[in-house]
Amino acid sequence: MSGFGPNPWIQRHWDWRAAANFVFGGAGSGLILAAALALPLGPARAVSLPLGLALVALGLTCVWLEIGRPWRALHVFFNARTSWMTREAFAGIALFGVTVAAFFRPGDWMEFVLGFFALLFAWCQAMILRASKGIPAWREPKVIPFILATSLGEGAALAVVLAVAYNMPSPLAYGLLAVALLARAAAWMVYVASVAPKLRGAPQAALVAVTPVLLWIGTFGALALAALAAALPRHFAMLLALAAAAAAILAGWHAKRTLVTRASLNQGFSLPNLPTRGAR
Amino acid sequence: MKKSEPARIEKKATYCYQCVAGPDLLTVKVVDGVATEVEPNFAAADIHPGGGKVCVKAYGLVQKLYNPNRVRSPMKRTNPSKGRDQDPGFVPISWDEAFDTIAKKLLEIRAKGLTDDSGYPRVAASFGGGGTPQSYMGTFPAFLGAWGPVDMGFGSGQGVKCTHSEHLYGEFWHRAFTVSPDTPLSEYVISCGANTEASGGVVGVWRHADARIRGMKRVQVEPHLSVTAACSSEWVPIKPKTDPAFLYALIHVMLFEHPRARLDVPFLLHHTASPYLVGPNGFYLRDPRTRQPLLAGALEERATREAIEIGADDEVLAQGLLEGETAFAKLLAHMKPYTPEWSAAICDVPAATLRRIAGEYLDHAHIGETIVIDGMTLPFRPVSVALGKTVNNGWGGFECCWARTMLAALVGALEVPGGTLGTTVRLNRPLSERHESVKPGPDGFMAYPLNPTDKAHWNAKPNIRNAYRTLVPLAADGPWSQALGPTHFSWMFLGETPPGLPRVTYPELWFVYRTNPAISFWDTQQVGERMASFPFVVALAYTRDETNHFADLLLPDQMDLESLQLIYIGGSKYIEQFWKNEGYALRQPVVSPRVDARDFSDIATELARRTGLLERYNASINRGTAGVPLKGASWDFSLDTARAHSRDEIWDAVCRAASAELTDGRETHGLDWWKEHGLRVKPFPQSNWYLFPTLAAQGLRFELPYQERLWRVGQQLARRMHENDMRWWDNQLAEYQPLPAWKDFPKLWETELARIGGKTEDFPFWLLTSRSMQYAWGGNVGMQIIHEVAGNVAGHGGVIINAKRAAELGIADGDAVEIATPAKSVRAKAVLRQGIRPDTLLLIAQFDHWATPYARDFGVPSLNSLVPMSMNLTDATGSGADVVRVSIKRSVAS
Amino acid sequence: MTRWVMIADLRRCVGCQTCTAACKHTNATPPEVQWRRVLDMELGEYPDVKRVFVPVGCMHCADPPCMHVCPSTATKQRADGIVTIDYDLCIGCAYCAVACPYQARYKTDKPEFAYGAPMESEAKRHDPGRYGVATKCTFCSDRVDAGLEKGLKPGIDPDASPACVNSCIAQALHFGDIEDKASNVSQLLAENQFFRMHEELGTEPGFYYLWDKK
Repeated sequence: MSGFGPNPWIQRHWDWRAAANFVFGGAGSGLILAAALALPLGPARAVSLPLGLALVALGLTCVWLEIGRPWRALHVFFNARTSWMTREAFAGIALFGVTVAAFFRPGDWMEFVLGFFALLFAWCQAMILRASKGIPAWREPKVIPFILATSLGEGAALAVVLAVAYNMPSPLAYGLLAVALLARAAAWMVYVASVAPKLRGAPQAALVAVTPVLLWIGTFGALALAALAAALPRHFAMLLALAAAAAAILAGWHAKRTLVTRASLNQGFSLPNLPTRGAR
Repeated sequence: MKKSEPARIEKKATYCYQCVAGPDLLTVKVVDGVATEVEPNFAAADIHPGGGKVCVKAYGLVQKLYNPNRVRSPMKRTNPSKGRDQDPGFVPISWDEAFDTIAKKLLEIRAKGLTDDSGYPRVAASFGGGGTPQSYMGTFPAFLGAWGPVDMGFGSGQGVKCTHSEHLYGEFWHRAFTVSPDTPLSEYVISCGANTEASGGVVGVWRHADARIRGMKRVQVEPHLSVTAACSSEWVPIKPKTDPAFLYALIHVMLFEHPRARLDVPFLLHHTASPYLVGPNGFYLRDPRTRQPLLAGALEERATREAIEIGADDEVLAQGLLEGETAFAKLLAHMKPYTPEWSAAICDVPAATLRRIAGEYLDHAHIGETIVIDGMTLPFRPVSVALGKTVNNGWGGFECCWARTMLAALVGALEVPGGTLGTTVRLNRPLSERHESVKPGPDGFMAYPLNPTDKAHWNAKPNIRNAYRTLVPLAADGPWSQALGPTHFSWMFLGETPPGLPRVTYPELWFVYRTNPAISFWDTQQVGERMASFPFVVALAYTRDETNHFADLLLPDQMDLESLQLIYIGGSKYIEQFWKNEGYALRQPVVSPRVDARDFSDIATELARRTGLLERYNASINRGTAGVPLKGASWDFSLDTARAHSRDEIWDAVCRAASAELTDGRETHGLDWWKEHGLRVKPFPQSNWYLFPTLAAQGLRFELPYQERLWRVGQQLARRMHENDMRWWDNQLAEYQPLPAWKDFPKLWETELARIGGKTEDFPFWLLTSRSMQYAWGGNVGMQIIHEVAGNVAGHGGVIINAKRAAELGIADGDAVEIATPAKSVRAKAVLRQGIRPDTLLLIAQFDHWATPYARDFGVPSLNSLVPMSMNLTDATGSGADVVRVSIKRSVAS
Repeated sequence: MTRWVMIADLRRCVGCQTCTAACKHTNATPPEVQWRRVLDMELGEYPDVKRVFVPVGCMHCADPPCMHVCPSTATKQRADGIVTIDYDLCIGCAYCAVACPYQARYKTDKPEFAYGAPMESEAKRHDPGRYGVATKCTFCSDRVDAGLEKGLKPGIDPDASPACVNSCIAQALHFGDIEDKASNVSQLLAENQFFRMHEELGTEPGFYYLWDKK
């Protein structure tokens, strides 16, 4: 009540700009990972890599806008030993390099390296949340599979769109999308089941309210649309693929934004013992 | 912080007396001539009972110094129309012009006569409460003394809104203008709303924290869970204004449900009026020859003696063989009906709780035990009852004070180690020494300077507008008495003077200093309207505020860290401030003045010079008005009365006299020494905390339980007033009883509600207030740092309401709500808490500012805006209580 | 070895905020930045309700999550346990702030003063290096270090002790070396029951709360 009690409140340090890093960086790295896993060489794959990088760069730019000392941004590289933010930065650099290399010299082992660094970047993002001990909704270990799954799901959704757009049917991309979205739904359900009871009030409600969006729109809706896209002729498929991707991606973004800015209750304070005040 | 090392760092010792719980000692860190930090005065850790520390208020002083909203030079009003809605049009003027203007007015007044046709002083002055402004106004008291009659009875909240019954009855019964448990030795305290952790100052907080660790149990009895209740062993949420019923039940249990031996029978028999025989007419049986009261040999006795019984105006009511019974027997009969079950129905405290508390009190009383203090063997009774504001003023205050003092007397815990102590005198003289004020009075009790009520001496014509000498015998007639009268009457009677009193007039010149009655009194709207009619107001002004909005001249005096004064510290004074040392401390400029302000001493001297009062002014200082007589046994630092002296000359002399006084003339350190050292003390024996040995040595008794003297006084006063056709004080006259009976006190407020057109069920809440340690008395409402840190304490941002009750009313935390009486309403933000009764609302402190820079943006209302000034709610001592019946609803806008 | 810790005796604290204000003085923090503050907590429901005042701030954890997450190495831990921030390294990402389970860290992006423009006292101590970076309680390490250089004992001698401890009017706050078994803090911990905030998180706070005697 009135901010005086033991009740926690929503952290105010990270706003939409930090959320945007998880939103865009997750989708971008997911796209690169999906491309490495599921897109055959060709224009769709060629476009996917710069698009993925652009999304990652957009996310990092958003963070850069949030930090208090933007001209010291390079200091972010100083603590690879323990900081997942430093590791994310290095992973981002590596991802840029590898992606550029993969763009020009694609190949089997390169796909492996590309996928590794894309996954590493997404992993770093998940671990950034995991290491935030002050925020119960973030430090929950079950946040990691969700962040990874949604990253892959969003990336796969974009990959499906690109495949359709460049008329390069990729059953693998559809398959990846299906697997990732189902995995994401499962990860989310497991995550929410673990975290929601630890929250209360509006933050809890916000988190719980994500579930139907993620399930019905982001998973089943998206998969149904994707199935139709796979089955129908191309000029229908494009619209349906776009709709499926939008459903999958926006649901994921909604979940991440909620996680970062609306469900991010801090730890609050608690007293395991109350003080004695004079004689009992 | 800048990393380059500062060129010069100084730490200057000074004092903080921003609140009545002071003074406390501090140092100010000055870096390159800029005051930056306040710190405790660690050098005083061993002599100050609070470890040489200062409370949060002192940490506002640096901002107070540099506040950009300060009045930066003398200013005069250019808009002759006064009113809240009028822009005063203040423009800067020179000090010379300001002094000229004031001196001209004062000289005109002197030429006409110091009092007006009604007999009231033409000059009035109002200062903030508790005597704290006197620690900042330098030699201004000497100017007022030189001037002559001044009406200091225009209230700003002190007195009538303070622990008023305690001030008057406490001083009457045991020289206790303020009362405190002997906290350092206490084991058990029943606290009816005494908000010690907020109002007890550094020393109170320090001592009670120690006492908690030691295992002292404090039971806090009050409608909301204050910071003090939070720090207590137990919180008893009592219904507002029913504390007498609570305390009476405790007395009942001790008298009727425990063996008599659990009381301190020898104390009652030998040191109270318990064995005095009371005759059939309710007056003491007296020896026909000596007219001295007759005593029984036991507490409970009926006896027939050859005696006389003397009535109010010396008439003999009965004589011959008269049957009497002891005062204690009268007490027993009186308290018989007040059972815990009776009490529980009134005060909403379970009977079992009442019985338990009474039993615990007796368990901790250590009847029969003694303790050696300073080589004296004294009774050891570590139990006490403390009373807070609102419990202790207005109707019911007398009953509470009587019950509290009786509870102490029953176990011999009055003025003995561990028990209930009076800690200062303000109505008896000398003000500086409680023990010397103990002088034999009538009937084996202490003398008390009651205002006369006998036919020959009663003051039918008041000396000032609040008529304290006429109406309130207990207010006495000392320097503090004017402010302890019914000071709201000064405001009320300007509208309509009751029959029998000379028409109350506006003072022709009103000085205002360190007070803001337009915010701090009741019915602030009416007070403001009255002020707007004052012909000439001189406000010593720190910033613009709600009172000086109506002023004609603003004079910026140098603030706390710019000005100079030496004050007495230590000894035994105010609440918990009883020390084992006494001496003096200097307040000194830590930096040069930041605005065109003058030291109050220089202002006083200049006023004296320009009004031709210099000689009397200097003579007054020489006599000791500045705190120390300048001439002593073997020293004489008297000022030349013929000329004006600078501030430093005056205080150098005061410092030398203080040094000499502390060292029996061996040392005569001047101002420079005091600036360097800040303070000097000598031992003050702990045994001086206790008045009991002094009374016992003089064979005097505590005037309890029976109040024959007050009853007599009440009857005399009633006769005098009726002889003068004054009937409007009859309700108050009924308060004079030999043994106070419970009355339905809450009902009084409900009746008043009905009188102004409200139904009880429509205004179901009791709105109360509570002390804010961060703000109380401090004149610091415009300090950002205080506002910021006070925000960490619940309730500073709005009205506290019980969370469950709020939910029933559809009010959520943070909602805008409207709090209303039938006459007025205010808006506030709801603060939902569990720690408050469902029938109670709480507005902390006194806000509702509309002119004070910074504070006017708070948007937090004040109880003062809703509480009426009311004759019906004024008790016999002339005080009222901060209580009002209200409704609350979610504001439409929210 | 030395390990500086602080103790708050919850039995003593009255929530007066003197420590809050003293900290603001000594550390010249801008408005609304309170490296030390005291919570006013209510627990339970009327009429069975308790109100407790709880001093909080940086707990100077032995295993500080803020330090681990800091990407710039601005947050460090001294050998004596004090967790520090190098304002010249900090990039102001606030990662430490969300990693801290005690809400102890602040970030002020632009200069702020009590009344808009800086007063003399604020101008004198204004440090542009403090903006856009994380700040928090330092255990008054500058006072501790300066005191030690003068041969003083932190926690005992005021000139070597944190301002909040010095200012406390209830003697609720204590400071000292927990590695020294004879120190004031070691004795208090030996004589009383205590807990640390959110101990289950494994941060090993250097801030102890006393709640009853043993």
